[in-house]
Amino acid sequence: MSLQYEIHRQCCQPMTRRSLFQSVSGGLCGAALAQLLGSSGLAAENSPPSNLEARLPHVEPRAKSVIHLFMNGGPSQMDLFDPKPELNAHHGEKYFDRIAGEVENPQAAGALMRSQYKFAQHGQCGMWMSDALPNLSRQVDDIAMIRSMFTTSITHEPAIYIIQSGKMSPGRPTLGSWAVYGLGSECRDLPAYIVLDDPLGLPVNGVENWDAGFLSPMFQGTRFRSSGAPVLNLRPDVERPTEVVKVERKLLSRLDELHQAQRPGQSILAARIASYELAARMQISASDALDLSQETQSTLDLYGIGREPTDSYGRRCLMARRLVERGVRFVQLFVNGNLWDHHTGLLSGLKSCCERTDLPIAGLLRDLKQRGLFDSTLVAWGSEFGRLPIAQLPPDKDDRNAGRDHNKNAFSVWLAGAGIQGGVTHGSTDELGLNAVEDRVSVPDWHATMLHLLGLDHNQLFVLDNGLKEKLTGVVEARVVKEILK
Amino acid sequence: MKITALTISLVSLVCYCLTVSMVRLLADDGAPSRQDSTVHEVTYKADIQPLLQAKCGNCHGEKTRKADLNLTTAASTARGGESGPGIVPGVPSESLLYEKIYNGEMPPEDQGRLSKAEISLVERWILSGAMMGDDQEMGTVSSTPNQHDVVPIMLRRCAACHGRHQQLAGLDLRNKAGMLKGGKSGPAIVPGKPEESLLIKRVHAGEMPPLERLVEVSVKPIEPTEVETLVKWIAAGAPEMEVEPDVATTRGDPLVSDEDRDFWAFRSPQPVRVPEIQNQPRIRNEIDAFIFLKLEASGLAFNAEADRLTLIRRATFDLIGLPPEPAAVAAFLADDDPRAYESLIDRLLDSPRYGERWGRYWLDLAGYADSEGKREQDLPRPYAWRFRDYVIRSFNEDKPFDRFLLEQIAGDELADYENASEITPEIYDNLVATGFLRMTPDGSWANITGYVPDRIDVMADEIDVLGSAVMGLTLKCARCHTHKFDPIPHRDYYRLVDIFKGAYDEYAWLKPDIHPGIGPVSQDVIGGRLLPFVTTPERQAWERHEAKIDADLAAAKAKSEPEDRIRGLEAQRQSQPRVQALWDRGDPSPTYIYRRGDALSPGGLVGPGVPSVLTDGRTPFVVSPPWPGAKQTGRRLAFARWLIQPDHPLTARVQVNHIWKHHFGRGIVKTPGNFGKAGMPPTHPELLDWLAREFVQHGWSLKAMHRLMMTSSTYRQSSVVPQRLGEFDPLNSLYSRMPMVRLDAEALYDSLLLVAGRLDGTPFGPADSVQTRADGLVTPTGTERGWRRLIYVQQLRKRLATHLESFDFPQMNPNCIERRDSMVAPQALHLMNNGMVFELAENFATRVLQDAGADTLKQIEWVYQIGLSRPPNDQEKQIGLETLNQLQTDWRNQLGVNEHPTASTLQLKSLTAYCHAIMNSASFLFVD
Repeated sequence: MSLQYEIHRQCCQPMTRRSLFQSVSGGLCGAALAQLLGSSGLAAENSPPSNLEARLPHVEPRAKSVIHLFMNGGPSQMDLFDPKPELNAHHGEKYFDRIAGEVENPQAAGALMRSQYKFAQHGQCGMWMSDALPNLSRQVDDIAMIRSMFTTSITHEPAIYIIQSGKMSPGRPTLGSWAVYGLGSECRDLPAYIVLDDPLGLPVNGVENWDAGFLSPMFQGTRFRSSGAPVLNLRPDVERPTEVVKVERKLLSRLDELHQAQRPGQSILAARIASYELAARMQISASDALDLSQETQSTLDLYGIGREPTDSYGRRCLMARRLVERGVRFVQLFVNGNLWDHHTGLLSGLKSCCERTDLPIAGLLRDLKQRGLFDSTLVAWGSEFGRLPIAQLPPDKDDRNAGRDHNKNAFSVWLAGAGIQGGVTHGSTDELGLNAVEDRVSVPDWHATMLHLLGLDHNQLFVLDNGLKEKLTGVVEARVVKEILK
Repeated sequence: MKITALTISLVSLVCYCLTVSMVRLLADDGAPSRQDSTVHEVTYKADIQPLLQAKCGNCHGEKTRKADLNLTTAASTARGGESGPGIVPGVPSESLLYEKIYNGEMPPEDQGRLSKAEISLVERWILSGAMMGDDQEMGTVSSTPNQHDVVPIMLRRCAACHGRHQQLAGLDLRNKAGMLKGGKSGPAIVPGKPEESLLIKRVHAGEMPPLERLVEVSVKPIEPTEVETLVKWIAAGAPEMEVEPDVATTRGDPLVSDEDRDFWAFRSPQPVRVPEIQNQPRIRNEIDAFIFLKLEASGLAFNAEADRLTLIRRATFDLIGLPPEPAAVAAFLADDDPRAYESLIDRLLDSPRYGERWGRYWLDLAGYADSEGKREQDLPRPYAWRFRDYVIRSFNEDKPFDRFLLEQIAGDELADYENASEITPEIYDNLVATGFLRMTPDGSWANITGYVPDRIDVMADEIDVLGSAVMGLTLKCARCHTHKFDPIPHRDYYRLVDIFKGAYDEYAWLKPDIHPGIGPVSQDVIGGRLLPFVTTPERQAWERHEAKIDADLAAAKAKSEPEDRIRGLEAQRQSQPRVQALWDRGDPSPTYIYRRGDALSPGGLVGPGVPSVLTDGRTPFVVSPPWPGAKQTGRRLAFARWLIQPDHPLTARVQVNHIWKHHFGRGIVKTPGNFGKAGMPPTHPELLDWLAREFVQHGWSLKAMHRLMMTSSTYRQSSVVPQRLGEFDPLNSLYSRMPMVRLDAEALYDSLLLVAGRLDGTPFGPADSVQTRADGLVTPTGTERGWRRLIYVQQLRKRLATHLESFDFPQMNPNCIERRDSMVAPQALHLMNNGMVFELAENFATRVLQDAGADTLKQIEWVYQIGLSRPPNDQEKQIGLETLNQLQTDWRNQLGVNEHPTASTLQLKSLTAYCHAIMNSASFLFVD
């Protein structure tokens, strides 16, 4: 894709160089860092942000960082957040014929199916939540629930492309990329956009979930593994004595300095040298950021670390907090595969997903609060779509083992932390939970809201592609969901 | 609301919109309510026409018809433009005309908005049924549907089972004749009697289309409004209206003016006089004259000429993507023929490695990949490699570019392959070449991602590839509306779509093939994308192979040989050789303009045609069958022939610009995929036109272009930035020096292998696999012969080799016009820590020890000769000696205690670290 960039004047004014460089210490001189960050001496004045220098936002930001808890697969809203007494009343009635065009697996379609979870009101605010989430239920006064989300595809891949990057096809920048593109980085030793994926496997769409699309690769998410070396190639595949490594490093820097001295005016060479220095620093800082042995036992317990089934997700939640503490702008957590995709076995499947994640997420919210990070960190929970009120039957048609098929017309998400008014329930679905009807929130609306909290205006954050303003929110008018903001 | 009243989202959305608009009506104090009918009746003639004439006539007049909207008659106003109908009588909130003026979108601010009173006048007119005046109702609009209202519905909802691919129950519902003829149960329609028409009965009974089976054929349920249209049409006697498809005629084109055609890129390249420059020994050819003229005007001259070592390294990387071997460098340095450099260029152009380098650039433009993408399964395309090989061979043969394009766009219409007695290499090439238009990501093999909109996305991507790579136009912008910057009407896009209909038909779709054992098996896979027409010798070889196995198996079974022997024989079977291709199947569905790109909003019927702005607007696009009696439409052939006319405004210009960009770092047009108004104008327009004409005159020879560009003084300049040039030409837009460039992913990978002596030079054939480590590292799988060049390694969209990913290999979504060259820490981590790079460093060191022996200084010299194609300077020698001594000491201290290493072990280990550093060095990564 060929892009002709132009800077939008209101957008992304660089911070003073001083504010950036005062944090620099160690062997790296300011100029080299500037090169690394991409401010080339020969670069044109009107180029768009092509570096990670911290930039001024469009409006006053509420959030410095984002932790996005992505629940790929499509959790069932009517079993978690959106109680439907009418669905219970009409349990067993045929309904498929009215929604045939909205069902992915028509041959397996069953009748309307009630939720087997018990709903109750919680907290001061009285938010409804099912007994599948006993821990989150105690935090409801901190979160804003949106029950009226909808999207435009009933298939995982396209729907995930939409929620991550606004459009139904691959190759576009994701929300995290846009955030880092717009705001730059507050952290010099770590990538600005970090992804913590599940050691059990990549989510659907794999690495495309943190793609920078047509933005520079420096804005793409960097995958940190929660076990072993956190970054690909971070540690050498071949172990060699420290002395040898040192000598080789020194040799390399002498040769490169010599090469550079013969080529004045080639700014890219300084950038390259700096990239090697950053690589070296990352070997230390990345490992340090993910080293959970520095945490107390009570913190580990808060996240359910060291016991099953919460250990894995708990680790990632705690790592997310440690990364945010270090100034990382955007942290995204994934679960493996299509974890929440309960076409069958909804009762046991949903329960097991909740058991893995409920305690760690509640722990994360409490930990952020007790450390004073809650006001500057936006936590977002959600998926690519929701599920249908009718049953999806297994091949043997045994409805005890039924699940639910995908639903694009209604799903629930929640937000918490920076700028969010806790305890609010926004929007509603119809009596069956089939369609979002009141205060409908589109995916672009959700994107606009996330950007807004970071201080970015979705209409001003764009790159010009041959005259077309390429935005996260696309050509459809998007609206910030003001009703859930403080 | 009762449960029974619940409906699907579409209906609730409509309700929602209606509610909003009612609220809006009530809130607007200027708006009258329905009861205000005492006010005089508003009519088009008396009230609306004068108003629209005054306020909108400039852009939406009879002649101008911007966005294909003509507001000068009631009928054309109601029909609307490319965004849909202008008026829905009685419902202002659904009338585009009203929406636009109410929201203040139209007229544009500088044209003067409508007053509140005027807006309310329009609203009243629509509310009261949009009367014409003279007591006529909106006759033409809400009138009887004709076959063009019905056919799109049948295509959408019925043709999957009663259409081109299959006629279940003997029924074909694609046109009226088919409906009258009917199927097993009798005629589908009885004109004038909808209630007796089987079609309507079945639909009303909910039997057809069968709801629970729709997903299998990727069809959505029929909508009530569609049923209503069908009923109305049949009730009216199923009238047919003679509608000529909208195509170019000899009359002037109303939507594109001659002024539009006057833009530089839409005129043919003009003859240019080469500047005459006196007394300048550095002017070696015409390129230099054009470049020098501009340099001189800015008070600059050519930069110093690069030395021979620099030139041979630059030229070698440039043409074959590998560093020169020490022997080649020595020979070039020793060659005192004044034409030594020219001979070097000729030698490189003759190298079979040339096609592997320059073919790769074409694969980027085509968006080559070895898998389908889009879906999690990322289905492989096991025969895509034949296209890759075709491209490499074409470049090596210097196939004229016009022929190269012709084959790729319409190869299937060049010869009657189905009835050929022999599949010659030429026929094979013709078919393989059409793989060019089969490269985009495609999830339509699965039912749930194979609906009409998904198919249209695939077609749009192919048109995008064609537009951006070959035509330098952002054609894709005209998919939903008339292009915002370039004079490409919405309709032109769909004329282009119609050219491809014989092969890409969203209502008779050939799905990508699903290969056994991969992914869930989608039902109802029709046709496929593969043809069996490999060359006759290849097919015969395969048949012989299979026949031998058959014979051996029969013998083994006869002798009751053990099971594993039988299984062993079975395992030797080879799959039938096939070609991934695009072919015209004839009998295409009609093409309707899709308003806002939406297949549910078909507009006017169009026929095949090319963008009007690239023609004189008065020449019809003539299509004829490729050979007598052919079922093929011949549309793509006509299109390809039009595209390769010698004076085509874009084809040659766009291509020479690509070549120039790869040699000089930046195109003469900086936006190689966009020569339109939103692209960048050429920095050297005369040079661009001169090159384009030269290209055509030299028989579209790419090698002639390389020779011309690379033998210029402009190319032979040094890349060193002198103080003066840095000040005057900071961005090098005058070409006052050569750029210093970073090796791209392929050149770097291939160089590492070559230097290490591990490059397996075997060309062509199926792609080499990749292996994925538990932590996600993806590495090409090697053999005992080493590794082949990166172009031969599998490019799976969802499992790209980590090396490729780190060094800016593009995602092909759908293709890549220009790669980036980023400079980020993961690249350093990869080269520093990756196991394969360590292994290659050790191979490099072993190779040096074999050639140079035990002498440390000689080793250093060899490392430089092999790795960097030049000798080390004194300082580098000094650094090398010190380092190698230090490394030996360190290794001895490390290993000495327990292992008593031999001298040669110490030497190899030390030299390996040294070579590893050289492979990581800037000198290795950059070309001056």
